[in-house]
This record gives sequence, structure tokens and C-alpha cells, in this order.
Amino acid sequence: MNIDDATTAANDRLADRDDMIVCVDVDKFYGDFQALKGVTATIKEGEVAVVCGPSGSGKSTWIRCINRLEVHQGGDIVVDGIELTNDLRNIEKIRSEVGMVFQQFNLFPHLTVLDNITLAPIWVRKKPRDEAESMARALLERVGIPEQAEKFPGQLSGGQQQRVAIARSLAMEPRVMLFDEPTSALDPEMIKEVLDVMKELARSGITMMVVTHEMGFAREVADRIMFMEGGEIVEVGTPEHFFTNPTEDRTKLFLSQIL
Amino acid sequence: MSEEDPISVALKEEQVSPNEAPRLSVLQWFRTNLFSNWANAILTVLGLVAAFLMLRGVLNFVFSENREWVAVRTNLRALMTLSYPESQYVRVWVALGFVVGLAGLSAGIWSDWGGVPVRRLATWLMGAGALIAICVIVREPSVIIGTDGKVVRTIEGSPLRESFVDAMFDRSSWWIAAVILLATGAGLWSRFSRPVRGRWRRLRSELPITSVVFVGIGLVILSLWVVPYGHYAFVDGTYIAESGTTVAFSTQMPWTVMWVLLGLAFLVGRFLRSSRYVGMAKGGSNMLWLISPFALFWVVLRDPALDYGHVLSTDLPMGLAFGLLGGALLWLLTRNNIGEIGRITATALLVFAVFNWVAAFFGWYPMLQKARISFLLLALAALLAPNFIGEVAKRRQLVLGWLGVMALVHYLATMINTPSTVDLQSDEFLGGLGLTLFVAVIVVILSFPLGVLLALGRTSKFPIFRMLSTSYIEVIRGVPLISVLIFFSVMVPLFLPDGMELAELAAVLTGYTLFSAAYLAENVRGGLQSITKGQYEAADAIGLTSAQRTGFIVLPQALTVSIPQLVGQVISSFKETSLLAIIGLFDFLRVANSVIPAQSEFMGVKREGILVVAMIYFFFNFIISKYSQRLERRVGLGER
Ligand SMILES: Nc1ncnc2c1ncn2[C@@H]1O[C@H](COP(=O)(O)OP(=O)(O)OP(=O)(O)O)[C@@H](O)[C@H]1O
Ligand SMILES: [Mg+2]
Repeated sequence: MNIDDATTAANDRLADRDDMIVCVDVDKFYGDFQALKGVTATIKEGEVAVVCGPSGSGKSTWIRCINRLEVHQGGDIVVDGIELTNDLRNIEKIRSEVGMVFQQFNLFPHLTVLDNITLAPIWVRKKPRDEAESMARALLERVGIPEQAEKFPGQLSGGQQQRVAIARSLAMEPRVMLFDEPTSALDPEMIKEVLDVMKELARSGITMMVVTHEMGFAREVADRIMFMEGGEIVEVGTPEHFFTNPTEDRTKLFLSQIL
Repeated sequence: MSEEDPISVALKEEQVSPNEAPRLSVLQWFRTNLFSNWANAILTVLGLVAAFLMLRGVLNFVFSENREWVAVRTNLRALMTLSYPESQYVRVWVALGFVVGLAGLSAGIWSDWGGVPVRRLATWLMGAGALIAICVIVREPSVIIGTDGKVVRTIEGSPLRESFVDAMFDRSSWWIAAVILLATGAGLWSRFSRPVRGRWRRLRSELPITSVVFVGIGLVILSLWVVPYGHYAFVDGTYIAESGTTVAFSTQMPWTVMWVLLGLAFLVGRFLRSSRYVGMAKGGSNMLWLISPFALFWVVLRDPALDYGHVLSTDLPMGLAFGLLGGALLWLLTRNNIGEIGRITATALLVFAVFNWVAAFFGWYPMLQKARISFLLLALAALLAPNFIGEVAKRRQLVLGWLGVMALVHYLATMINTPSTVDLQSDEFLGGLGLTLFVAVIVVILSFPLGVLLALGRTSKFPIFRMLSTSYIEVIRGVPLISVLIFFSVMVPLFLPDGMELAELAAVLTGYTLFSAAYLAENVRGGLQSITKGQYEAADAIGLTSAQRTGFIVLPQALTVSIPQLVGQVISSFKETSLLAIIGLFDFLRVANSVIPAQSEFMGVKREGILVVAMIYFFFNFIISKYSQRLERRVGLGER
């Protein structure tokens, strides 16, 4: 199947938008093992792209290459017109435009919620403390936990911690948000509160790339779903296409297991 | 509680939290903890017997007729500062007063120290009373001193002891003390336990811990004025012994002043804490703690008999020029749109600053060492400047910081280049506890940043840093401290300018710092390894630079984790200062071990001094470890 055809046909809404993330033939090796094999994809401004696939297929590796937590060895990655190279200044720029939410939250346990959120705005964006704090409180309001500002991460539930992590990323006013299985470490009753926040974000028009197994979420808010296996993108399509008549056998197999 | 009971408003009922073990009566407690089964009961009895024998041994040693405590009394000043000149002693008091005032200030500014329940206080008092009573009973009856002042002996030659009853009568003043303590304790105890609705309940009322400590110290100092401790001293080499009087005025007065200073400084700190300037006050007091050992060093060892002509023509203008012009430059470098020019300027400055040292080495042109140091510092500040770009407040921080550093550096440099008027002809110009504390504090302060840097180097991703730090740490750790000290005491004098009398001390400080840093580095590395990869990634993902990541995320957590080991290192640094004796310095222990026993009045009297020294070491280390427990608990909040 021709991936580019599917991409353009997939969504008219995004047809005339600018490209936000462009990956061309991205290769990534761990020693001899090739984790990404020529991954090529374009994500438009304001698009919500869901990436799914079996364990070990390279989803995390790919998403982590986009903000340079991993270094790719072949191909090009361009984010908002900035090419990811070894140039430190480009990496700095991209990191301050791209927020990331991790499976394990990775909050800073020695700082209060408020300090977790204001750290980067104050020291990277050089904002005055008052301004950073009032923005942090507004963000906590937005993710639904305004009353937790003075607590330490260890005093919060998993769902609350993940929402703080989202607020922390948003505090840098990123143009792109990356999510790597944000709900996988959560108890079922907390998944919804995090997904609700993510849905609200998706509607606000920010560009999002989400690795997740939450197919309900994908069906509801994704503009496109990308299916990966063995370090390659196997199939790309709108949610209707993806859930109703997937073309690839491997996709069908995956869906039959997960749904 | 009923409303017509006004006292009970002030007294809260003690809350027993649910996860606390239920309170047992004394008998139950004994049964469950000490006599739960046969084996346990036997162990308990054996333990009690052992404790009894040990206590008796210690008491008999302390109160033996062979002890010459007067040797310690007479030599208290020698134990503290050895032969520091009497005429200059006011400087020691000034230095101590500075530290005491700073301690009071910090105690006031920092955290709420909380309270001690009155009932706990009562328990302590009763415990102390009971302990005295037990000691009085356990101690062997004293020997009988005959009219000729000699011990009366039996025909076999063993000393004759008084009867048990006589001994108890002889010790009546101890009994009075025990009874007063017990009675006060019991009184407080019952006053704060009252029947509520027909049942005895524990009531809680607390006294601020700071007041308790302050009053406690006050009582001890008051006793200097009233209790006839006697006056024993060497005055101009002659031995003075007056029993039945209070201690000398020159002891009473300074300590009283210290006490008042402590209280006043505490009140000032309290006031600052509730004012708008807390942040500044906290920062300021921390700064003072860091620099005070260095500044006090010069207060104690140097005399500001400056060449004022030189000060006015050179030192002062130069300090002002560096402070003001450098400040202005930094102000410009933190402008918003400075861009590349900032980096270029900073780099150029650095090159120039380094070149000055090279030039000085080859003697191409003259430039005062002070100026060379200042240029180097200015270059470093310029390199840091990009971190302070932005609002006025931040820029001001950098400039004010610069002015502070310049003032300190120029002050110290001026002082160092001025000859001392304190007579340092003898090797023993400063010794005793003063020297021990001084070396310990400076070594800890200096080795800390070095140790952290080494640890970061050892875990760095750059192989060259890793290699250098690792080999440094391994080499140092493979060598005993004594050999490091000896090596440096031979080497350092080769690098010091002529006429610097402090060669030995400088050598110790250098060698000891380098040594201690290697061990600190290993402790910090342990903490660094406990930081998960996720923390690094999260810091990267929000765009922190690697310096910010290290400073805000990695180090705070790593240091918190390694508090117990770091404190252990501090304690052992303090104790190992006793090795200074080997390279010829007169540390605390050496005074007790070889200075006092060499005095003609107290030939060979050693054990008393060593016991006192050991107790003082223990006292300091106990406080350090208590404080570290408190610190651990407080920072532990973030880990829960
Ligand atoms: N640091 C590493 N060193 C070596 N191999 C790695 C490393 N990280 C990942 N891999 C390998 O790369 C492949 C892709 O890993 P990745 O974590 O991207 O999978 P994933 O799709 O995110 O899986 P999951 O759904 O389990 O998170 C896996 O086979 C994994 O074993
Ligand atoms: Mg993964």
C-alpha cells in the first residue's frame, strides 16, 4: 500500500495545513539491532496522530527520537522547520517547542507540584516568578487539580501525577505534545481522568502524537492512526478506515487481539 | 472539656495517633520487652549486671583519689586555644561572638523549632535526678584521708574506706541535687496530668524548644557567677589555685555577653522571619556561614595594622574599580538583546585573564596578584551572565553578588598581604579545640564542592573527566591520610611566598581537603546512581540545560539520598583532625596527651584530660548526628 496516498486521502481537514513533524527514512540502531527501519511520516499542524502496535515494535523509540531523547542514525527529522542535528542550539529550540509526557510520569519528587511546573518557564523561558506561578495555577485548574499546588508528587495519586506531568509540559507553551503510553501505568479508575484532559487538549488544536493502546480514545479524537510493527509503519489511516476495513493482515491480527 | 475550666483551654489532650503502639503501663512494658521469656529474662539480668559494673567502674575512675582534675581545670584555656596570647584574647571572643550571634540569627530565621512537651521535660529532669541518685549509691565509698593529708591504709597496705552510711552522708550535696531534680520533675509531671471527667488523661502543653535550650544555657552561665567552682589558671606562667571562689571575671563576663548575644540575635532572626526580607535574610545568613570561617581566621590570626597609605592609594581604589566597573560590565552583559556579543566578550575576558597568569609566570609585565584573581573571577561571572538575562531583579542579583564577592576577595587579599602582629614565633600560636574546629570546618566547607565536582566527573559522559576523576579518587583512597598530610607539609612550603608563617597549617588544609574530597565524592556518587533515567529524560524534555539539570534535579536528590554517608564523612573528618599532631600541630588531643603531662605542676597527668577531650568530641558529633537526623526527616517530605 502507498502510505502517502493514504495520508493525503485520509483527512481533508488537514490538507492545507503546514507540516509540523516530518520524518523521512528514519533509521535507529541499538548496536546491531535495528529498532526503526526507514520510518517516513508527516504530521500536520494541529493534527492528533495516534501510534499503536505490538510491544517492541519501536513506538517509544520513534517518539523519543522526535525530541532527541534518542539519537537516530539515518534519515531526517524536521520539527516545525527545525532540523534535528547534533547542533545543540537546534536541540534546545526543539525541546522548548515539544512537550513530552512519559508512561512513568517522571515528576521531580523533591519539588512541589508548583515548582515542578514553574521550573522550566522560569529558567528556560526566563519568565518572572509571579507570572510563571499564575500560569501554573491556571494550568492546574485546566487539568482539574487546582488544590494540589503545594503538595509533593509523592502525595498524589497516579492519575493526579500524570495530570501534573501534562501541566508541566504545557507550561512551556509547546506547539507539539508527545505522549508515550500516558495511561499504561495507571489503575483503570484513573485512566479516564487523564484521557479527559488529553481529549480537551486535542480539541484545543495543539499538535499531538500519542502512543497508546486506548482504542476508544483513538477512535474519538485521532485524525489519523498509524500502526507500527517491527520498526516500520505498516498502515496509516483515519479511524474509520483503520477500525472498519484495515488493508493489512498484520493490522487485522493486532486489532483482533486488542479489541 | 468543660467550658468553666480555663486551664484546659491551654492544655490539649495528647493525641495518640492510630499507628503508634498502644501505651503500656510500666509493668506491662517490662514484661513485654524485657522478660517475655526465659532467655530474654536472663539476657536482661546479664545486661543489667554489665551496666552496673561499667557504671561503677567509670564512677570509681572519675572520683578516685588518684585523679587530678585540677590539671584539666587549670588548663581549660590551653585545651581551647593553647598558647594564644592573653593580650589578644579579645579577638577569640569576637570570633566566637560572631559565630554565636550568627547561630542565634539562623535559629530565628530558619524553621519553627517546635516544642518539647512539658511532660517530656519533666521526664528528663526526673531521669537526671534518678541517675544521680543511682550514681551516688553505686560508687564505692571514698578512701579516708588522714590528718597528715595522706590516705589512711590498712596494715596490708590497701586504702581504708569509710562505711557506706558515712559515704552517703558525705555525698549529701549530691543527694540534694538529686532530690531537687526529682521533685521539680514530679511537680511538673503532675501539674500537667490532670483528671478529666473522673479519669486521668495525659495532657499536652509544650514549651518552645528554643526557650528551653536558651534557659538551660543561661542557668549554666549564671552558675559561673554564683557557684564557687574555684579559680585555677596559669597567669604569666605562674600557677594559681584558689578554691572556694567563683571563676575569674574574664571568664564570667564574655560568656554572659555571648548568652545575651545569642538571645538578641535570635529575636532579630524571629523578627526577620516574619518580615518581607526573609528570603534575603536566609540567603545572607547562609553566605555568612560559608565565609565566616575564612574571615574569622584573619580576625584570630592577623592584625589589621595596615599600611593605610597603601590601602588608600592602591587597595581601596582597585577594589572599587573592579566592583563598580565589573558590575557595570555584567549589567550590560545581561541585557536582553545582547546575543553573541555576550559570549564573545566573556571568552575574550577569559583568554585575557588566563594570559595574565602566564605573563606573571614569565615576568613579562607586572600586575598585582589581586588583579589577576579579580580578572579571572570577572571572566567566570561573564560566562555565567547568560543565566541572568531577563528581568531587572535577576540582573541585579548578579551585580550584587559580584559586588559581594569583590568586597570579600579584596578584603581577604589585603589582609593576607599584611604582616601579622600576633606573635607567631612559637609553633603553638593556636592549638587545642580552636585549631581542631577550625581545620574541621574549613576542610568540610572546601572539600564539599570539590567532592561534588569529582563525583559529577566520575559519572560524566565525557571519558576524559571520568578518567581524571576516577584516577584521582582511587589514588587518594589508596593512601593513608597521614602520608597525605606529611607529603603536603613537605611540599606546600615550597609554593608559599617567603615569610608566610602559616605554612604548616596551609599544608594541612590543602592535603586534608584533597583527601576528604575523594571520600565525599564516593558518597555523592552513590546518591547520583540512585537517580533514575526518567529524571534525566524529564529534565531534558522540558528543555533544561545540562547545568540546570544537574543543579536543580540531579544534585538535590542525590545529596538528599546521601545525607547519612555525608554526615558520617563530616564526623570522621572532625575526628581525624587528631592526626594533625603528627605533622607538628597542637590539636585538641595533643594538648591533653602531651602538653599538660609535660607541665611541672602536673607531670604525667594524662587520663583526665583525655577523658574530657573524648567527651567533647562526643558532644560535637552527637549534635551533628542529631541534626542530620532532623534534616533527613525534613527533606524526606519530598520522597514520600
Ligand atoms: N536502550 C535499548 N537498548 C537496546 N535495545 C533497545 C533499547 N530500547 C529499546 N530497545 C529495543 O528496541 C525495540 C523497540 O523498543 P520500543 O521501546 O520502542 O518498543 P515499543 O513499541 O515502545 O514497545 P512497548 O509497547 O512495549 O512500549 C525493542 O525490541 C527493544 O528491545
Ligand atoms: Mg514503549
